[in-house]
Amino acid sequence: MSSRSPNKLARIGLAGAALLALGACDREERDTSRQPKPETISLASSDPRAKEYENSSFHISQGQRYYSWMNCSGCHALAGGGGMGPPLSDDEWRYGGRMEDIVQTILKGRPNGMPAFEGRITEQQAWQLAAFVRSLSAQPRQDVLPGRSDDISNAEPQTLEERRPQQSESNTTLPSAEKD
Amino acid sequence: MRRRLLPLLPLLLVGSACSVDGIQSVGGRDGQGGAAIADLFGIFLVATLLFAAVVAAFLGAAALRRRGRRADGIEDPEGSGTERPLKTGLIVWIAAVAIGLFGLTLASHLTDRSMARALPDPASALRIEIVANQWWWDVRYHFRDPSRDVRTANELHLPAGVPAHVTLKSNDVIHSFWVPNLAGKQDLIPGRITDLMLIPRKTGVYRGQCAEFCGMQHAHMALDVTVEPREAFERWRAHNAAPAVPPTNALTRAGYDYFTTRECSTCHAIAGTPASGQVAPDLTHFASRRSIAAGTLPMSRGHIYAWIADPQGPKPGNAMPYIGLEADELHAVAAYLESLK
Amino acid sequence: MRHALVIRSKVALLAFLLLACPGSQAVGQGNGARAPAAASPPDDGQWTMAAKDYASTRFSALGEINRANVSRLKLAFSFDTQNRRGHEAAPLVVGSMMYIITPYPNHVWALDLARGGRLVWVFRPRPKPASQGVACCDVVNRGGTYSNGNIYFATLDGDVFAIRASNGHQVWRTSVADINKGETVTMAPLVAEGKVLVGNSGGEFGVRGWLTALDAASGKLAWRAYSTGPDADVLIGPQFKPFYAMDRGKDLGVKSWPPEAWKTGGGTTWGWISYDPATRTLFQGTGNAGPWNPHQRPGDNKWTSGVFARDIATGQARWFYQSSPHDHFDHDDINESILLDMPVGGRMRQVLVRPGRNGYMYVIDRGTGQVLSADPYGFINSAKGVDLKTGRLIPVEEKVPQEGRVTRNICPAAPGAKDWNPSAFSPRTGLLYVPHLNLCMDMGVIEANYIAGTPYLGAEVKMYAGPGGHRGVLTAWDPVRRKAAWEIREDLPLWSGALATAGDLVFYGTMDGRFKAVDGRTGKLLWQEQLESGIIGQPITYRGPDGRQYVAILSGVGGWAGAIVSGQLDPGDPTSALGFVNAMRDLPGKTKAGGRLYVFALPQ
Repeated sequence: MSSRSPNKLARIGLAGAALLALGACDREERDTSRQPKPETISLASSDPRAKEYENSSFHISQGQRYYSWMNCSGCHALAGGGGMGPPLSDDEWRYGGRMEDIVQTILKGRPNGMPAFEGRITEQQAWQLAAFVRSLSAQPRQDVLPGRSDDISNAEPQTLEERRPQQSESNTTLPSAEKD
Repeated sequence: MRRRLLPLLPLLLVGSACSVDGIQSVGGRDGQGGAAIADLFGIFLVATLLFAAVVAAFLGAAALRRRGRRADGIEDPEGSGTERPLKTGLIVWIAAVAIGLFGLTLASHLTDRSMARALPDPASALRIEIVANQWWWDVRYHFRDPSRDVRTANELHLPAGVPAHVTLKSNDVIHSFWVPNLAGKQDLIPGRITDLMLIPRKTGVYRGQCAEFCGMQHAHMALDVTVEPREAFERWRAHNAAPAVPPTNALTRAGYDYFTTRECSTCHAIAGTPASGQVAPDLTHFASRRSIAAGTLPMSRGHIYAWIADPQGPKPGNAMPYIGLEADELHAVAAYLESLK
Repeated sequence: MRHALVIRSKVALLAFLLLACPGSQAVGQGNGARAPAAASPPDDGQWTMAAKDYASTRFSALGEINRANVSRLKLAFSFDTQNRRGHEAAPLVVGSMMYIITPYPNHVWALDLARGGRLVWVFRPRPKPASQGVACCDVVNRGGTYSNGNIYFATLDGDVFAIRASNGHQVWRTSVADINKGETVTMAPLVAEGKVLVGNSGGEFGVRGWLTALDAASGKLAWRAYSTGPDADVLIGPQFKPFYAMDRGKDLGVKSWPPEAWKTGGGTTWGWISYDPATRTLFQGTGNAGPWNPHQRPGDNKWTSGVFARDIATGQARWFYQSSPHDHFDHDDINESILLDMPVGGRMRQVLVRPGRNGYMYVIDRGTGQVLSADPYGFINSAKGVDLKTGRLIPVEEKVPQEGRVTRNICPAAPGAKDWNPSAFSPRTGLLYVPHLNLCMDMGVIEANYIAGTPYLGAEVKMYAGPGGHRGVLTAWDPVRRKAAWEIREDLPLWSGALATAGDLVFYGTMDGRFKAVDGRTGKLLWQEQLESGIIGQPITYRGPDGRQYVAILSGVGGWAGAIVSGQLDPGDPTSALGFVNAMRDLPGKTKAGGRLYVFALPQ
């Protein structure tokens, strides 16, 4: 009996510590107010903003909302399976699969039908969209991917989808010169 | 201290029912249903206060009552021979409670029934569709001839004395539609259609409010309600069904150009212009409304500037992004919006 | 000269053989239905327009290949189109030349049939690449038309071309559509009375539908009739006498919409036009109302999802019938109108027969627009029928898609009981051979956002096979007896056109690449050939310069149904290709992308 007593005390102490630790949990920071952070290093290396957007659940779920609002889903389908536009959920990137490439694709458009959204959405929205686009092929960290859409949708919740982890930077392919 | 204040709680509740300025008042008798409910509330209040008084009296009597004594003078916790009238009293009390509860149930039932009977046929009522979004109200008036339909946002105009059948939908989470002066609450639930009949009796300006916590800016999700005479409503309807006024000077023209070709028109619509976005409030007659951003800011030139310059300042987390307009663009867009009477 | 003699004698022999054939007499009687002579002249062995004739019969009087010998059909030659998208076009045969119009970039190949299909010239119109981004359902083209020495066709980005059939030199070029608004052109133009008739596609982009007539000689605009908006734009004037009360009234193209919505209301004309030379009337179907979400456009949404009869000279409307007022399910009404003269209720009537997307086979009086009958030819649970008194479709309320929820099991699905792929009519059997679909869908609608040049849908769709589990059906429909004579169930959706011949054969293709010939009377499979890629094209037949009968088909899977292969879409997302991919997950395992012309003939 006496030997178990300190054990019990330790357990209580642990539980108490765990409870205390809960207090450290905080709401995720939501940066709703400003433009993306200005770039600090040259574009030659990966843009530092990429990680900031990709590692934020908030930005990804904002991107998901815009994906539907800006009619991306009309061409690329709800979970990125494609249709009028190429699929976004596979591992092929015609114009590059890095965050900054996708932002460029969204803002400047691409010749085979991707319209340019520059001036029609803000730069921050483009980065949020790009983060969501990468989440369609499970590129960002698993724990930041949204479990479901903030809006009603006929698509399976993303948590129920099979996620295919893919390499990110290497599998960029060049666009085929003419698609005929 | 606290315990002593407890009996005052019902008084506080009564006090809250009589709001000071009257635009958002639960005790309001400005809608047909609201009046009946207020009457019923009065009956409940009187009846329950009466019973509460009797209970309080008994409690007092019990506290003062001395314990019974036997004939030999020893205290008897079982009570004395004087119990019989008390027992009769208890039986009378139980009967009174039963009758009282039955009476209240009956009153509630009758009120309910009379309200249901008074409801006009939805087919003959004004048809209004309200869609809740985080955090604003999308308001559409439907008429038999769809080309007369009106779409507006964060404001509701109702003709006095005319029943309005409001269908309620939500695009994201559960909201609740509540114009306390006119009727009770009704939830807006994603994937379901709920409805509510509003029969405003008195002209005036009221305030509606989302009454179900719906996120960060739940508190900034209000609705300006105007009940006006039929002719005034018809004037409002005709004005709001018309396309927006075209820009008249260089400044508003610059604002028009910016609005219709840039970020604004991706989400907002202004009838009569190429701006046809559907996911944000319709701004066709924006400047004729009483407030900006679902009751967040009163309508004024300064607030229009403040809102466009940084929408995340007054209402953090709302869906309108910070655009970063240049000063001249800000002037132009604000002037154009201000011209949309 | 000797050559012609040989042909003539062969034809005579053939005719004799046909008459002598024991079964042919009973078949020849048919059911009294026939195409009007003016719209269906005697067969000259050529194939100059996608639908064969103005009556849109897709029937050839050539009978050299028949039920008895079709099993010996062999490949005569083939030709690689160098294009790997959906090939929906019908090849054209004029004299000894064949012309093929490919999907984007819309090359025109001219082949010499006298020399085994050798390439004579190629015309490259160079359409704008951005047009691929506003083509709803693969970058298809449904063919061209030959008239008066010229080939007329339209490119995806909306330029109509007239080129010399002899040398491929451009005669004129007129731009009719604006891709920045989401307009494209995929249809095969029709040329009649010196006018080139062409309409726009883009009902999924909130465009405003129209049909345009260009002067065939100069390419100048003759008239343009919109499908929405004020009467002046729709070309509705004193001539307009619709049969039903619902279509009478001033400016219904504005009044049956919420304010402004008609400007983005769809009603595109991307399907088939028929023409009746006797009354100089053209029949033009209009597409779905935009957006797909019906709650954004209360009202009847005139003049979408219906059929117009118009005066070809001025474009003025004569009548209109709306098969799906306030369309709920993307049920365009652009399907082919087959002009027939046939007994209805005991007397001969001049009618249009229209296999509608909503699953009803409409028989409509050509002169008045009255619906004489509307019978289901596929499985329908989204409507209870057509009220012949008012002309209105009777919808099933619980199948109307609602915002914020998913409505399950809506049949037919968005592509309808039948999509664009055209039927064929044989006067010998009196049957209409309808290649169609058996698909149902789950549909949820959300508020669609209008951004010019991007999709305007507001719908989330998942399709799957309908009752029975098969996805395609070839129905032989008897329009007089108003019922199916027989049907063939196909596993994959039927996305190819049909061809009927005087040999009592019906040709069609499947999406896994089988080109089939079946008995026109019984539906018995008589011959099939496995081609390199799935078939979504329109089979044709012609008499070659050597006098023999040939059958030609383009293989090359794609289109809305086949986009999963031609666009390499992700089968993991059921909503890909507007929900069609959910029904087509197995297709990549059954066929591959391709683009090749195949021509078959009996061995010499």
